[in-house]
Amino acid sequence: MDADSDVALDILITNVVCVFRTRCHLNLRKIALEGANVIYKRDVGKVLMKLRKPRITATIWSSGKIICTGATSEEEAKFGARRLARSLQKLGFQVIFTDFKVVNVLAVCNMPFEIRLPEFTKNNRPHASYEPELHPAVCYRIKSLRATLQIFSTGSITVTGPNVKAVATAVEQVYPFVFESRKEIL
Amino acid sequence: MTGRVCRGCGGTDIELDAARGDAVCTGCGSVLEDNIIVSEVQFVENSGGGSSAVGQFVSLDGAGKTPTLGGGFHVNLGKESRAQTLQNGRRQIHHLGNQLQLNQHCLDTAFNFFKMAVSKHLTRGRKMAHVIAACLYLVCRTEGTPHMLLDLSDLLQVNVYVLGKTFLLLARELCINAPAIVPAGRDGVRRKCCTDGGPSLHLSRSTPGSTVPRAGRPLQTERAFPSLGRSAFTAALRQLCDPCLYIPRFAHLLEFGDKNHEVSMTALRLLQRMKRDWMHTGRRPSGLCGAALLVAARMHDFRRTVKEVISVVKVCESTLRKSVCFRLTEFEDTPTSQLTVDEFMKVDLEEECDPPSYTAGQRKLRMKQLEQVLSKQLEEVEGEISSYQDAIEIELENSRPKAKGALASLTKDGSVEDTTSSLFGEEDAEDEELEAAASHLNKDFYQELLGGGLPGSAEAAGGPEGGGGPPALESLLGPLPTAASLGISDSIRECISSQSRDPKDASGDGELDLSGIDDLEIDRYILNEAEARVKAELWMRENAEYLREQREKEARIAKERELGIYKEHKPKKSCKRREPIQASTAGEAIEKMLEQKKISSKINYSVLRGLDSKGGAGPRREHARPQETAGARRLSRRKAPASTSGADPVAGVRKRLRPMVSTQPAKKVAVGEQALLPSPPSLEAEPVRPTSAVVVESGPVSYHPEEDADEEDPDEEDGEPCVSALQMMGGNDYGCDGDDDDGY
Repeated sequence: MDADSDVALDILITNVVCVFRTRCHLNLRKIALEGANVIYKRDVGKVLMKLRKPRITATIWSSGKIICTGATSEEEAKFGARRLARSLQKLGFQVIFTDFKVVNVLAVCNMPFEIRLPEFTKNNRPHASYEPELHPAVCYRIKSLRATLQIFSTGSITVTGPNVKAVATAVEQVYPFVFESRKEIL
Repeated sequence: MTGRVCRGCGGTDIELDAARGDAVCTGCGSVLEDNIIVSEVQFVENSGGGSSAVGQFVSLDGAGKTPTLGGGFHVNLGKESRAQTLQNGRRQIHHLGNQLQLNQHCLDTAFNFFKMAVSKHLTRGRKMAHVIAACLYLVCRTEGTPHMLLDLSDLLQVNVYVLGKTFLLLARELCINAPAIVPAGRDGVRRKCCTDGGPSLHLSRSTPGSTVPRAGRPLQTERAFPSLGRSAFTAALRQLCDPCLYIPRFAHLLEFGDKNHEVSMTALRLLQRMKRDWMHTGRRPSGLCGAALLVAARMHDFRRTVKEVISVVKVCESTLRKSVCFRLTEFEDTPTSQLTVDEFMKVDLEEECDPPSYTAGQRKLRMKQLEQVLSKQLEEVEGEISSYQDAIEIELENSRPKAKGALASLTKDGSVEDTTSSLFGEEDAEDEELEAAASHLNKDFYQELLGGGLPGSAEAAGGPEGGGGPPALESLLGPLPTAASLGISDSIRECISSQSRDPKDASGDGELDLSGIDDLEIDRYILNEAEARVKAELWMRENAEYLREQREKEARIAKERELGIYKEHKPKKSCKRREPIQASTAGEAIEKMLEQKKISSKINYSVLRGLDSKGGAGPRREHARPQETAGARRLSRRKAPASTSGADPVAGVRKRLRPMVSTQPAKKVAVGEQALLPSPPSLEAEPVRPTSAVVVESGPVSYHPEEDADEEDPDEEDGEPCVSALQMMGGNDYGCDGDDDDGY
């Protein structure tokens, strides 16, 4: 067991969501008709644009606000956002790349042991809530980090937080508690 | 009756009529009290000859319909509404609770939860039914009744997750620790047996009396698990969880007739076993129940189809099938599966199994370890290969120099590094020869050297002979990634610097180009003209109807506009963006906020403002000192209102200045000077305002904030900073009654 605690935990970031503004109105129909990699949702009033490198999907609103999802690091998100801005420029908009912000980071992490969810929930009462009728995982919220962890009995943990650092600290914070209520191997 | 004195005349002769419930002074005739509450029960005969009890019914919840004595009109009204809400809630809780067959105790608890929720305003923005369902479920959880959230959602026809959300919120806000699974186990079973109608009857009737009641444990619990051994029983208590609660209920619904008990016992045992074999965590209780019941039914030769079970436990067919199949396959791995049905019923295996997912994980882990070992071996092999490679290379180089002649001595030892040095100068070649020979003995060292001198060696190796061999290739490949990584770090640096520079940068695209964005590739994302035309055509055709509608709509609007009957859609209020409050101090900010938000329409804001300045006079003394630096600015500001002030603002200015002037002398000299300055101008201004004398005279605080807002701003700036938030509060209290207190 001690050996397990020495194992470095790999936190795998699966999604980074960021937003930015272009400071100009975007003619969605123009984007839709001239872009090759777009889906125009007319009824919703948005255009989805996908890029290959980095692999991101962007939601473009006519107000000039753009949401990029699918990046796997903050740098990549930024790079993708800039590329997107560039391609919008190529489409002939006066794009000014501003207000870039990482909004949400999703990561997964595997514990090298099983977790006794009932026990874990009991010990971490105010933060953790376990409703097997609704969801198989324990929902553990860390208010100060604005991070939420979904802890599964198999030992895998899904973390969402406002940025990569918060996600990492959240996992660090929760590790001792999880370790406490691990399943002993007989 | 005796000790009372009439308020009107002071007489003591007061008549108390219990039947009517009032007290009247016989002296002056004034009614002293109305609706007296009496303790005795009286009956009166009515005209029809029947008798009825005297008085009014006062409900448990207090106020009810009795008009409360005293109290303002508003307060009374508020209470009524609250009472009404509670009454509604009570009714609905009863209604829903009866459908769930909950007992009175549970309903009362639920009502208490509901009351708490109402008093915490948790009902706002939520549907009443949801809140009530959440309250009831909360009770079910705390009391351990065999009800699921799904039942409630079924009754209400509301999505479970919506209810779940409400339930979680209530539990969190009311700080009720709904016993998730573990702690309420013991109580849960007992209560379940007591409260649950049908199945519990079966249980208690047909249980064999063989179990010996142990002290400290409820008998009923024992009976619920008669056939479980001691260890299983304690295990059941230890982690008795939801699924067990539901088994009897579901079994009842599945109608196993006489064998109801046996089937449910088998199902329970199966569940227990699953639990001990770690199959239940993270799985839906109803699904587990369904699986257990299905298997149990088949063990007892009942023919229950999956569909029947589904209709009872309410999970998706595939879920159940999956859970049955998978559980069974998982079960196969456990020792329990080695037992026959009869054995299973009798024997309790002591050992616990690792959870299925865990064993699966272990398998994965083993695979990973194997992979690691393999990769390690691979590395070793690679090392060996590279050493061979070196040897081969040396041989090659040894064989080649004969033809080259001049370079022969240099390259003889085969050291690539040697050749590099040879480019620099041949004079120390001999020394290097020795050195290289020494290093040649130590392969590892040599390799390190090779790694270090990559770029140089690449050129060198390429120079003397055409084929540099594997190391040269390696070294050729080497620099590529490093250059790329350099570029990346550059781009990152670019990003960071551009972020700060961005807002000012008008074009904003300069940095985009530089930082490794491949324009060519982006161009590929954009269709060329022909393609765009085709796409546009397609799109137009596809959306022809929508486009036509749009055109029609526009035409209609244009027509209506011509006729003058077109109604412009007013932009939504939310669209109107408030400009962010810019204030230098908290006091100012609060004032502006108050102006914007209008906490109450009943507040006379002008009075409030007047109070501010008055209140501000006090603390100014303390604040003035640090503000010295602003002295010069103040001076000009002070003058401004006086000189520019028209007729209206004078009142305000004068009003404001009065306390200021009076307090100024206490300050430092410099400030005092400045503060004194404005008073003469304002006095001068007074004679200039005959046009609006009425406004001024009508009272010091009657000026309108809108009219003099402009002129006042500079004035405020020195008036406001001194007003602390607290003082503003104090001022508010004085300025208006009651209502605005709620705002804070």
